[in-house]
Amino acid sequence: MADRRRVNGPGGITVPPIYEAEDLPLPDRSRQPNGIRAQYLKTGVTPSASGSAYLEIEPQNGSVSKGMKLTCTVHGPRSLPRSAPFSPHMVLSTHVKFAPFATRQRRGYLRDSSERDLSTHLETALRGALIADRWPKSGVDVIVTIIEGDQARQVAVEQGIEEWDMMNVLGGCITVAAAALADAGIDCVDTVSGGVAALVPGKDGEEPVMVLDPVPSEHEEILAACCVAYLPSRDEITNLWLKGSLSSDANLQRMLIARAVHASKGSSQAVAASLTEAALAG
Amino acid sequence: MPITVLQPQPAAKRQAAAMSVDSDSDSDSGGGAEVHGEDILTPGTVITSNSQWMRGHGTYVQPGETAITSSLAGTLTKTNKLLSVRPLRARYTPEIGDLVVGRIVEVQAKRWRVDVAASQLAILQISAINLPGGILRKRTETDELQIRSFFAEGDLVVAEVQQLHQDGAASLHTRSLKYGKLRNGVFVSVSGIGGGSGVVRAKRQVWTMDVANAGGKVDVLLGVNGYIWISKHIESDTNAEAVGINRMEESVSSKVYSSQNDPLELSTMREIARIRSVILALVENRLKVDEDMVTKGYSEAVELGRESPDDDLYLGGEKGQRLAAALTGH
Amino acid sequence: MASQQILFSPAELAYLHRSLSLKPPIRPDGRAPTQFRPLTAETGILPGTNGSARVHFSDGTEAIVGVKAEIEKTIEAPRAEESKPESNEAASERTRGDWLELAVEIPGQRDDEASTVFLSEMLREALLADKEFAKKLFINRRFHWRLYLDVLLISPPLSYPLPLLSLTTHLALLATRLPRLKSEGDEDPMFDDDWEASTFLYPQEGTATNGSRPPITLLVVAIGDNVIFDPAKEELAVAETALAVSVAEVRRAQKAGDMEVDSKGRELSLLSIRTIDPPSRLTPPGVPHTSNTGSSAFAPTKLQKAGDQETEGVWKAPLGGTKFGVLDGIIQAVLEKGGVADEVLDGLEGVELS
Repeated sequence: MADRRRVNGPGGITVPPIYEAEDLPLPDRSRQPNGIRAQYLKTGVTPSASGSAYLEIEPQNGSVSKGMKLTCTVHGPRSLPRSAPFSPHMVLSTHVKFAPFATRQRRGYLRDSSERDLSTHLETALRGALIADRWPKSGVDVIVTIIEGDQARQVAVEQGIEEWDMMNVLGGCITVAAAALADAGIDCVDTVSGGVAALVPGKDGEEPVMVLDPVPSEHEEILAACCVAYLPSRDEITNLWLKGSLSSDANLQRMLIARAVHASKGSSQAVAASLTEAALAG
Repeated sequence: MPITVLQPQPAAKRQAAAMSVDSDSDSDSGGGAEVHGEDILTPGTVITSNSQWMRGHGTYVQPGETAITSSLAGTLTKTNKLLSVRPLRARYTPEIGDLVVGRIVEVQAKRWRVDVAASQLAILQISAINLPGGILRKRTETDELQIRSFFAEGDLVVAEVQQLHQDGAASLHTRSLKYGKLRNGVFVSVSGIGGGSGVVRAKRQVWTMDVANAGGKVDVLLGVNGYIWISKHIESDTNAEAVGINRMEESVSSKVYSSQNDPLELSTMREIARIRSVILALVENRLKVDEDMVTKGYSEAVELGRESPDDDLYLGGEKGQRLAAALTGH
Repeated sequence: MASQQILFSPAELAYLHRSLSLKPPIRPDGRAPTQFRPLTAETGILPGTNGSARVHFSDGTEAIVGVKAEIEKTIEAPRAEESKPESNEAASERTRGDWLELAVEIPGQRDDEASTVFLSEMLREALLADKEFAKKLFINRRFHWRLYLDVLLISPPLSYPLPLLSLTTHLALLATRLPRLKSEGDEDPMFDDDWEASTFLYPQEGTATNGSRPPITLLVVAIGDNVIFDPAKEELAVAETALAVSVAEVRRAQKAGDMEVDSKGRELSLLSIRTIDPPSRLTPPGVPHTSNTGSSAFAPTKLQKAGDQETEGVWKAPLGGTKFGVLDGIIQAVLEKGGVADEVLDGLEGVELS
């Protein structure tokens, strides 16, 4: 699609420069299977918006990934345009966008299909938490920008792990959007938080192992992964995205979803801590 | 079998018309039009040039000619000296006095726009509804501000067509105790069918029937526009029946505009679902839908239900065809 | 598809919800909770494609899927000079998900709308989840097949089109054939002109049947404690949870001399699960008897507090998420041996592949 409103970079794909092969470290996860990476969350970073939040997930020392940085702004509740039909609930619209420099391969300004997919997931995750019928005839816009994605120097697409990256990104988007909504003062039943769990092959042909907060470049292969948006006080799940090849053994999916819930409990603690801090400070 | 996968059926061949068509005939065989029975007229077919016939719906006369030509695809009907063409499939066209079921789609300043499956949205003015509090209650500005407390988007109403505008849009009114907001039931839509099947205009569009299996009483409301409402019969207050016409509107209670359902028993809900399936089966098998057919169809359906151990309600496909066969055989 | 405007009156919704929460649930058309509506299906309707299928549901929705394949050169990824030549098996490992291009077209919607993209992503990830699919498209190290799957919904979307599109895609893939390869090794590919000699993408017999079959995606809703399959538009409008579950059958080639395996039920593998935002969250709330304003001239100030117990008979849109137990119940209902997924696959197997 030609974008005539901006001065664009060169058309077509920009191929990343090819470097001399360096000794790429073997995929290795230094954390415990139960350990999630530390998160830094701060609200109120964009004064002009009704609510905003910034989330940073630290990279592990020595690992190839570079961490993830996300920011979210919330505009609303504001009145719908006159042309819109009457709505007894608040109209939620979500937009997720990678900054062009966020990933190894430059993304354009126009949203592509993976970003629209993430927006739909995020909308489902947030809608469950909103008390929408307190705000008839109004709308709220949630805009998440991913400043830095989680990708390593290797061209992730070649490895086929780009799709697993999306799950991590979604988990981060959910957490940061929930914090921004709380900052904007929009009534929610609970703070949603996102968590990801994955099933990876065990060392030396052992049984597959479940890990929390997986970074795709730390593992040779990911068999299945699950991203969950969880409401901690109500113990409910608003969004579930599970992908991979699992046998029909009942316990395996239950475990995977339960581990993802566990991971999101960890993120929710980070959100709660930062919101309390913001309340005490400001 | 939870899932039935069928092969697509080839289109059924229409039975060859028994008589040949003499579309343009000046023979004096009683001066009647020569097109018979089941033959379908297409737009542009000349029906007759005989000037004793008057033209009705679905026909036109070319200026400067006397021949009546069909303008629709359909069958010919003759009423005394009036020739009209009834289309095979047509949208409902409102007539004054029709009882219709409609759904509110838009709320405007002092009125609502209602979808009645016609070519245009019908209008329901705020001055055409009963405001709770009596006939002497003045319509105030507050009523207009709280217009959504009466009818909101999505609500179902039963109303009568009061007048028709020039462009064909209907104006509705609910100024009677039997009209108003619908609740305690299910909605079925059978619109878009013409030519003898679907809902026909009849003497009684609303009736109460006794249902089997201790279900109590069920109201069936066949809107002429093809929208049907089946609900549990609620006994109205006897006081309301007793008052005279002057005091009727005073007894309009505040319950009229609420959307709270009364408690419903399991057996009633099952029978309502059964009646709904009967109506859909009648439509699928091209039978007309009126009080008679629905009542007969219902008793057949109860019989069919007894055949299966857990009183299976589903009447699609094969069971529906058996039902239709049983009814036409009668 | 929560963004579409559905119009139901709160009284209808309250009635439907009550009727579907009973044990056993009374569905509006009287079906059993696991009963699907009858559908007609046929394959091989588009002679210009490698495979095609058409499915027509009884509520009037219809979909057509066409599969076309083209040869494409495999781009060699930049690698450091490695002197040892790769063996063929290792080469076949380097297959890529973007050899499959899936396009979904829904009338009345732009193809970059979020809901359409969500549908196509869901169908795509179900196909690629077990990583076996791309291996079927491998020709040699320099060339591969690029498969274009075009999914067209012919009728306007009356209800959520996912199960329809998924069943049609399943049948189209089963009917897809690729021309038989005559060349060998890494030379430019040459194919047999005879279409009768072409091979199925998903072979029916022989050792090549090892592997999975194309997936199907089922739409399941939960209302109260009941799990309901193939929901109609009204049932979706009162659902508290809607889940799209993709499963596929795993077939293992039987070695000669194996005992006849107890063939009750298939081995299913779970490929993906996504929650669908149910349209019930966008429905208008009902008005109970007591707070109706019509009888007085001034406005009511008492709003029904969110989180209040639902007044009996008055509809209120669901709030919050889903309990894990409910999700688990749905997944088990889909996957159990001899359960719904099994029977749907049974029904589909009966369709002739022309």
